[in-house]
Amino acid sequence: MTITRINIGPVHPSTHGVIRLVVDLDGDTIVKVEPHVGFLHRGVEKLAETRMYMQIPPYTEKLDYVAPLAYDEAYVATVEAALGIEVKERAQYLRVIELELQRIASHLLGIGTLCNDIGQMFTTFMWAFKDRDMVLDLLQEATGSRMFHVNMRLGGLHSDVPPDFVDHTISLMDYMEKRIVHYEKYIEKNTTFKERMVGVGVLTKEKAIELGVAGPVLRASGINYDVRKNRPYYVYDKFHFNTKTLYDGDNFSRYKVRMLELKESVRIIKAVARAMPDGDALGMPIKLRSPNPVNRIAVVSRELPRGECLLYMVADPQKPYRLSIRSPNMINLAAISHMAKGARFADLFAILGSLDIVMGCIDR
Amino acid sequence: MPYNNTIGNIANIPYWMGSQNPLYNIIGIIIYVIIISITFSIFGYVVGWLERKLIARAQNRHGPTYVGMWGFLQNFADLVKLLAKEDIIMERADKLLFMVSIPLILALSVFVILLFPYSPSLQATSLNFGLLIILTIIAFFPITLFAAGFSTGNKFAGISAQRSVLILLSYEIPTVLVVASIVLISGSYNMASIVASQSSYYYVLLVPIGFIVFFIALLAEFERPPFDLREADSELISGWLTDVSAPYYALALFIDYARMFLGSILIAILFFGGWLGPSFLPPFFWIVAKAFIISIFIIMIRATAFRMRIDRILRFGWEWLIPLSLINLIIAYILFV
Amino acid sequence: MVKLKVDRDALLGTISKMKSEGWEFLVKITAVDYKDHVDVLYIIRDLAKSKDEILEVTLQPTDLWLPTIFNIHQSADWYERELSEMFGVEIKGRLVPRLFLEKWDGIDPPLRKSFVWDSTYRTSDDKQ
Repeated sequence: MTITRINIGPVHPSTHGVIRLVVDLDGDTIVKVEPHVGFLHRGVEKLAETRMYMQIPPYTEKLDYVAPLAYDEAYVATVEAALGIEVKERAQYLRVIELELQRIASHLLGIGTLCNDIGQMFTTFMWAFKDRDMVLDLLQEATGSRMFHVNMRLGGLHSDVPPDFVDHTISLMDYMEKRIVHYEKYIEKNTTFKERMVGVGVLTKEKAIELGVAGPVLRASGINYDVRKNRPYYVYDKFHFNTKTLYDGDNFSRYKVRMLELKESVRIIKAVARAMPDGDALGMPIKLRSPNPVNRIAVVSRELPRGECLLYMVADPQKPYRLSIRSPNMINLAAISHMAKGARFADLFAILGSLDIVMGCIDR
Repeated sequence: MPYNNTIGNIANIPYWMGSQNPLYNIIGIIIYVIIISITFSIFGYVVGWLERKLIARAQNRHGPTYVGMWGFLQNFADLVKLLAKEDIIMERADKLLFMVSIPLILALSVFVILLFPYSPSLQATSLNFGLLIILTIIAFFPITLFAAGFSTGNKFAGISAQRSVLILLSYEIPTVLVVASIVLISGSYNMASIVASQSSYYYVLLVPIGFIVFFIALLAEFERPPFDLREADSELISGWLTDVSAPYYALALFIDYARMFLGSILIAILFFGGWLGPSFLPPFFWIVAKAFIISIFIIMIRATAFRMRIDRILRFGWEWLIPLSLINLIIAYILFV
Repeated sequence: MVKLKVDRDALLGTISKMKSEGWEFLVKITAVDYKDHVDVLYIIRDLAKSKDEILEVTLQPTDLWLPTIFNIHQSADWYERELSEMFGVEIKGRLVPRLFLEKWDGIDPPLRKSFVWDSTYRTSDDKQ
């Protein structure tokens, strides 16, 4: 048995950022995968200890640059929990809409890049990117920015949405429903796609718990855990939606969970947008001093598009004493050594694509 | 048979000159080479441009727009850019093999292209075993590709070379078997007479299974998607081209179009009646037009297909294509001989 | 969320006992440096009841080591590596490659409060 050791990355077309994978190959079969991370380490946790509370969202947003708004919200919610600030009702509805829009945008990119990793020449990627762009346009309408929104403020939002935002949202969601069905048909009827996905990179239920994976990866392995459902925040408990759980734990389930979540997100957005109350949604302006913390320690967990993020904050007046971030991507990536063992070399990238990692979030 | 030259009668090459004078023969060869080279250069260029343009349209993009009309000169600009760049040969590379192998692949492709008959009056030679010679030269591709991949000393290129050889070796068999069925029906290895015998029916109607098998096998042999494991960019960065730069890279890109032209012409000759067509346009136009349409079809597959995995490709070749080509051969023997 | 103070010697026993009682999902290992002591936190979850529990181990800065829980929870792998790099906590019981995220050798652990970052790691541009 001759082992070929191949070094993939830090610069490689399908590593989704800067990650280095050292792969040992026996022929075409993977014996061992060792991920090396840290190339995008920016020390956000340390940086947070030196900044005022509302100076930090721009940093936390850049952790997951594919779904920045979700991280923004997770951080601001932690601060709110520490300072004991209630979120206004309209702001809660708007936050849910924005979070779900962000989830749609993120999952579309995830599915697009997955198809790219399996070897399609950018077609699904480009289609998904166009639809993602329309979602980003809508987010721009709501927040004034396409990529890094920094829209969350203590107790509410930076700005209320324009009056026709709800109509635009519902019409875009009608369009999105059709598109999602279209993607599903287009991708899943492809036999090559199914061959590459079904039964590859299997993560059993027991192993998923043992490795502590998060989000769609956990739900694809048959564990029905979704923070939105199990510990509802904002108005998630007022609306009916299903968390999608599949039981195979292979690449295809991970992809399919994302696809089903897209549909659920569309449902949630429509319901929330229709039920949105009038009133004030503005939060505290940044210029004001934030109130002194009520709780010394705040622990908040949020369902980001890529999995559960848990923020542990020890609060000081005006700035955090310590901010610790549980990155869903990091623990998902750690599972790749187990999932890729025994798979074919080409499958490694299908597995990596199905994990849908973002390196900024892993390295922090 | 109208084209009844004996094997080895190379001196008779341009018999369309109507002369046995060796001087005319040499001039005829030169003219012939120039015509074919220009044709396939323009063909490759247009197909290359269309590949970018059509795939862009399939993906909601515009493709190249700035250089020339509809970006027609974009590929030319890219070529100039590549030629102007420094060519880097890695220290670990086998320099001689590296410098020889890529031009050699192009040379082999061009050699095959020059051997094809393009019309009754435009063919280099009318060897009775022309088809056999072409298949033999095509069988050289694995060696050259393997050399090109391994000479760079890059691990990705090495894996790519291994994959490429594996695919070529297992897809050569159905190709030859299908060609055998064509030879059975037409009764000749001479491509000109194969074309001539299709005047009533194109062979695609007589051996539809054979055509499908041959088309898929050619896609695999010339490593077009979904069999493009040699350049699998999501796995192997750029496969055998990972360490190749500047003029060699330009050559390597051109090889793809040369081989695509080769494959399309071969399919046009074997299955679509070569230069046969309505007589208001010259025969040469028809064969190029047929090859062009086949090329466009090959391109459009690239826009939609997912890449197959190496074990699956090999299994597909052995479990489906080879039995199908055998069945095709038997059917052809029973029905048409 | 329940917080349990655990002694370092009782840590392994507590975690494995909790695992047999259904607290089988390790969410995160993190730490907070309070200057006079370092608190290491094990956040463990019961997936069925969806409840979290935090185990807090207090360590003295002079005596920073912990037994590994890798044999109980495999997901502790990267968290322990991060802990040992960022807080200088020595993980006993398994080989922890020290460099993980920052890959700077021979410096103070970056997330400790003793890490003086604004003077030591200023670049030459900043000084001008």
